[in-house]
Amino acid sequence: MNAKYIHKHDVLIVGGGLAGLRAALEAYDSGADTAVVSKVYPLRSHSVAAQGGINASLGNAPGSKGDTWEDHAYDTIKGSVYLADQDAVEVLCREAPGAVIELEHWGTVFSRDGRGSIAQRPFGGAGVARTCYAADRTGHNLLNTLYEQANARGIKFYNEYFVTSLIIDEDACMGCVTLDIPSGELHGFASGSLILATGGYGRIYERSTNSLINTADGKSLAYRCGAALKDMEFVQFHPTTLYGSNILISEGARGEGGHLLNARGEQFMSKYAPQARDLAPRDIVARSIIREIEAGLGFKNEYVHLDLRHLGAEKINDRLPGIKQIAEDFANLDPAVDPIPVQPGQHYSMGGIEVDIGGATNISGLFAAGECACVSTHGANRLGGNSLLEAIVYGKMVGKKAAGMGYNSARISVIEDAVNRESKKLESFYSRPGEDFAALTNEMRKAMFEKFSIFRNEESMAEGIRSLVGLRERYENIGLKNRAKKFNQALVMTLELGYMLETAEIVALSAIKRKESRGSHYRTDFPDRDDDKYLKHTIVKKDQEGRPLISFSPVRLGLFPVKEGGY
Amino acid sequence: MIVRISRGRGERYDDFDVNITAEMTVLDLLFHIIENIDQTLAFRYSCRGAVCGSCALLANHVPLLACRTTLAKILNPGGSPRVSLPSGAEIPAGGILLEPIPRLPVIRDLVVDWEPFFEQYLKLEPALKEEKNLPDKEHLIGKDEVRELERYTNCILCALCWSACPVVGEVEGYPGPAALAKLYRFFLDSREPGRAERMLLADTDSGWWACDFYTNCRKVCPRGVPPNIAIGKARKHLKGEDQE
Repeated sequence: MNAKYIHKHDVLIVGGGLAGLRAALEAYDSGADTAVVSKVYPLRSHSVAAQGGINASLGNAPGSKGDTWEDHAYDTIKGSVYLADQDAVEVLCREAPGAVIELEHWGTVFSRDGRGSIAQRPFGGAGVARTCYAADRTGHNLLNTLYEQANARGIKFYNEYFVTSLIIDEDACMGCVTLDIPSGELHGFASGSLILATGGYGRIYERSTNSLINTADGKSLAYRCGAALKDMEFVQFHPTTLYGSNILISEGARGEGGHLLNARGEQFMSKYAPQARDLAPRDIVARSIIREIEAGLGFKNEYVHLDLRHLGAEKINDRLPGIKQIAEDFANLDPAVDPIPVQPGQHYSMGGIEVDIGGATNISGLFAAGECACVSTHGANRLGGNSLLEAIVYGKMVGKKAAGMGYNSARISVIEDAVNRESKKLESFYSRPGEDFAALTNEMRKAMFEKFSIFRNEESMAEGIRSLVGLRERYENIGLKNRAKKFNQALVMTLELGYMLETAEIVALSAIKRKESRGSHYRTDFPDRDDDKYLKHTIVKKDQEGRPLISFSPVRLGLFPVKEGGY
Repeated sequence: MIVRISRGRGERYDDFDVNITAEMTVLDLLFHIIENIDQTLAFRYSCRGAVCGSCALLANHVPLLACRTTLAKILNPGGSPRVSLPSGAEIPAGGILLEPIPRLPVIRDLVVDWEPFFEQYLKLEPALKEEKNLPDKEHLIGKDEVRELERYTNCILCALCWSACPVVGEVEGYPGPAALAKLYRFFLDSREPGRAERMLLADTDSGWWACDFYTNCRKVCPRGVPPNIAIGKARKHLKGEDQE
C-alpha cells in the first residue's frame, strides 16, 4: 500500500473536543510528538454545544465565599448517589480551580462579576454558586481557546478522519485505521499511546440533546478490542430540552432564576424536591417532569413550560443570549415574552470505557478521557458543570500519562496488514443484499427511548433487548449502495450504526442487571436504592466467544460516608 | 416540492420531488433525501443547533446554516435584508435550490474544502500569546470589555461571511471577515501582551485595507458577529484616530 497513507506519532488522540484537545496540549507540552484525529473539524465537536458552565470552588460569588474543593466533592458524590469513585472525584475537584484559571490565562472570555473576577452561578445539586461560565456559550468559548492554543503550538490535526478500528498487536494498542472522509482513502496510524476522546453516544436514543455525530465510536472501538465498559446503564436525561428538536436549554436558565411550570401554571418542583426545587439534580427534575405530564398536567401530553419571563429581557440578553437565540430560531418565540416548551431528553453518558486515574484502560497503550471514559466522577448521576470540568482535568491527566509512554515502535507491517483487512471489510458492505442504515438506525433509537429511558422495568427492558438483538442480526447483512469514493457519508453512517448498536446493547444489558433505582437508573419494579446489593460498578467485557460478559466491581469510597438523603 | 441540488459545481443539478412539510429545516430535508431517496448525497452536519458551523450552504441563493433555517423561511423570506449570491442555476418554481457556498473548492455536492478559509484564519495567529508574569488567579476584566469581546468570540467559523464577501474573490491573500474579526478580538483583549503588534499582522493592502464595506459579512452571520465594525475600528486605530 501507499506509504504516504501511514502516519506515526508518539501520542495519537482520537477526538477534537475538550478532552481530546486538553490531552493534546498536555502531551505536546510534555515533549511528545502529538497528533489529533477527528471525524469532523475540531470546532464542530459536541463540546462546542455545552452551554451552562464549568464548576470550580473559586468562591467568587457572594454567598459562596469560603467554598472548598471538599464541598464540591461532597456535592458531586452525593449527586452521584455514592457511585462515583471518591479518589477520582477528589482529583476532579482539587484540580478544578487551577484548571479554570489556566483556561482563563489561555484566553477564555469568562463572564465577570462586578469586581472583574470570573462570575459564578448556581447549578443543580450544588450547595453554592460554583459554576463558572461564558454567558451560555461556555463550551464554545473553551473549545475555541483550546483549539487556538493547539494551533499556536503547531499540533498536527487530521481533520475528517474517521476511525474504523483500533490495531492490537501482542495485547497492546499500536494505532488505528482511519477513513479519510474527503478522499475516501484508508490511512493507518502507528502510535505509542492512543487516547480515545470521542465523547458520548447520545444518538443511540430518540430525543437527544447531542450532536448528530455522537455515535458511540470510542466506546465501541475500545470494547471491540477487549477494553471494559463501566456503569453503562447510567444515562443522563436533561430535564429541559426544547420540545420538538430536543436542543438543550441550559440548566443555567434555572440557575439564573427560571422556573418549571405545569399546565396549571404551578411551580411543581416544590412538590418533588422541597428544598432544591428547580435546582435539584437532573435525574430528579427529569422524573418530576415526566410525572407531571403523566398526571395530565403537561401540555399536549408532551412537555411543560420553562418560564424565564420574570428575568426580563435585559438579564436574558446578558446571561442567556444563546437560549434566547435557540428559542427564536427553533421555537419561534421570545423567552422574555413566552415560556419555553421543554421536555426531558437524553443528554449525557455517565458510563464509559473503564480507566484508572491516569486514563489508562486495561489494554496497554490505550487511554480514554472525557465522556467516552468512566473514571468515575459522576457515578449514577452527573451534576451540571462537571462534564466540561472532567474533560479538562482528566484530559490533562491522560495527556501527561500517555506522553510518558513514549513511542513504542509499532511494526509498520502490522499497520499495513490492518489497513488491508479493513479495506476488505469495507468492500464487503457492497456485496451484501441487506437493507441500508436508515430504518435500522431509527428502530434502534425508538427501542432505546421507549425501553431504556427515564423509567425502566424488567418486562419492557427484556422486550427492548430482544429488539436490539434483532437489529444486530439485521446489521450483519447491512448493505450499502453508495460507491462514491469522496465524502461517502452513507458509509460513515453505516459504520457509526455498527458502533451504536453494539453500545446500545451494552447499555441495555447493564440496565436490566441492576435491580435497584439509583440516580439516572430508575426502575419502577425496584424503586428503591439497594446499597447492600448494588453499591458497585457494572463492568462489561467481551468473553471468549465475543459476547458481553457482565461483572461487578467495588466503589472506591473514602472521603465521605455513604448516606441516605434527598434534596 | 421540487428540491434542486448541486452535484458538483458547474457540472450537474439533480431534482428531487419530495413530499415534506415546510416546517422542516433544510438539514432535515437533506437527511430525508439521504435516508430515503439518494444515499450518495454529501453534506456536512454536526450540532443541528446553529453552534458548530458545519452546515453552511446556499439555499435559493442565500448563504445560511441548513440546521437553523426552515423551508418556510426560504420560501417566504419576508422583509428582512438578505444577501443573495446568484449562481446561474434556476430556483425551481415554488421549490428549493441548494448549492455549496461559493469561494471555496467543492469536494462533493454541498461539501466544500474549508482549508483555504482556515489557512487564512491561522495566518493571523489566533491565540492569546503567552504572558511572562501571569497573575496567580484570573485576570480582572470589566464587564464592558467582556461584552465587547463577546461580539467577536461568538464567531463559529462557519465560513458564511467568507462565502458572501466579494473581496474574498477579488483580493489575493485577503484573510476574510472571520479571520480579521478574530484578529481584532485578540487586539481588544487586555490580557494580550502584544496588542499593538497584532494589528500590524494585517496592516497591508490585502489585509485591513482591502475591505470595501459591503457588510455582507454581518448580514449573513448566524451569530450576529460584525466583522465590518472590527475592520473599521482597526483602521481607525492604525490611523491613530482612536486616541482619546
